[in-house]
Amino acid sequence: MAEAGVRGHEEAKAHHGSPWPFVIAIGAALGYTGLLVNVPLMILGVLVFLTGLVGWLSEDIRTLPKPFYGVGAALESKFPRVSARKLGVWLFLATEIMFFSAIIGASWTLRFRTSDPSSVTFLGPWGAPGEILNVPGTAVNTFILICSSLTMVEALAAVERGDQKRLRMFLLATMLLGIAFLSFQAYEFYHLYFEEGLTFLTAPDGVNRLYGPTFFIQTGTHGAHVTAGVLAVAYTTAKAFKGGFTKENHETVELVGLYWHFVDVVWIFLFTIVYLI
Amino acid sequence: MATEAAAATQAATPVEEGHKRPYVYVFIVLAVVTVIEVFVSGVQGLAELDKIMLLVGLATAKASLVVAYYMHLRYEPRWLMLIPFGGLALVFILVAALIASAGHVPVPP
Repeated sequence: MAEAGVRGHEEAKAHHGSPWPFVIAIGAALGYTGLLVNVPLMILGVLVFLTGLVGWLSEDIRTLPKPFYGVGAALESKFPRVSARKLGVWLFLATEIMFFSAIIGASWTLRFRTSDPSSVTFLGPWGAPGEILNVPGTAVNTFILICSSLTMVEALAAVERGDQKRLRMFLLATMLLGIAFLSFQAYEFYHLYFEEGLTFLTAPDGVNRLYGPTFFIQTGTHGAHVTAGVLAVAYTTAKAFKGGFTKENHETVELVGLYWHFVDVVWIFLFTIVYLI
Repeated sequence: MATEAAAATQAATPVEEGHKRPYVYVFIVLAVVTVIEVFVSGVQGLAELDKIMLLVGLATAKASLVVAYYMHLRYEPRWLMLIPFGGLALVFILVAALIASAGHVPVPP
């Protein structure tokens, strides 16, 4: 007991610093600056950002499953029963609610202002459900995303029981279902853009020309979020296969799951608003 | 041997029950409601506004299930709800602003 206490104390004093968060921050700063002033600078920023991200994740995977005491006081939650990390993820998701609401709200406003024949701003009717978009195919894709939410939450339940085998299996299934969702979306974009003539500037004959850009912005932004989610789940899966999570230490699985389910929630609304109405 | 097994089962049971949550039932409801949504979308003769309200209502019900059970908000302290609902409150302000600005429509080129 005393030995464990000494070891814990030594680990508490051990060096846990990592340069990679700074690399990520510099990459993000260069990327956003480049977005405003210079494209090559933006590309450099993205590359620095990705280097930092890969470096940080590699370092994390190499040092598992050591408990982390480094900045315990800073990470300690001041709120009852909710860790600081979980609180941070929920705050991030609150900003994401506002982000997606702005995109969806702007698209709806454009739709109602420009598809009313009695309005001076009439640009043509919106595509009717199933007229241009593939509703049955997307319903199946929605089902795939719902399945992935189930496998994600089952992965968490498995690690809470200490069941490593099921944790790995469900995480792998979640990642594959996410890839399947993205593959269908990529096919759909290709079909609509090159075969149906629905682009950022044009729409099939008689359809409002704002139908294309609002469709691609709403579903494309969501697709980018799913891509980020797949990468996060892939990292979590790799760490799980290396034994990085235990019954006592698995908060990462829960936090990645929160993000994944949120992306599912957004799609539930997008499927209704973009495809069914 | 049998006694040991029974004891192990008894010891394991509270933990198992503590983690038993209705994930599969929620999944089934989500899948069924998705089918209903696709059906409602194709129904002819339903007023446009009624259809929109019904579909958005079904989507909200589905999203609430995911947030409550899969994101575990139902099992978290109540105060945590303030965070997503705080975000939603700001969304209502955005929607109100969009509706209020509907009268100021620029004439397109």
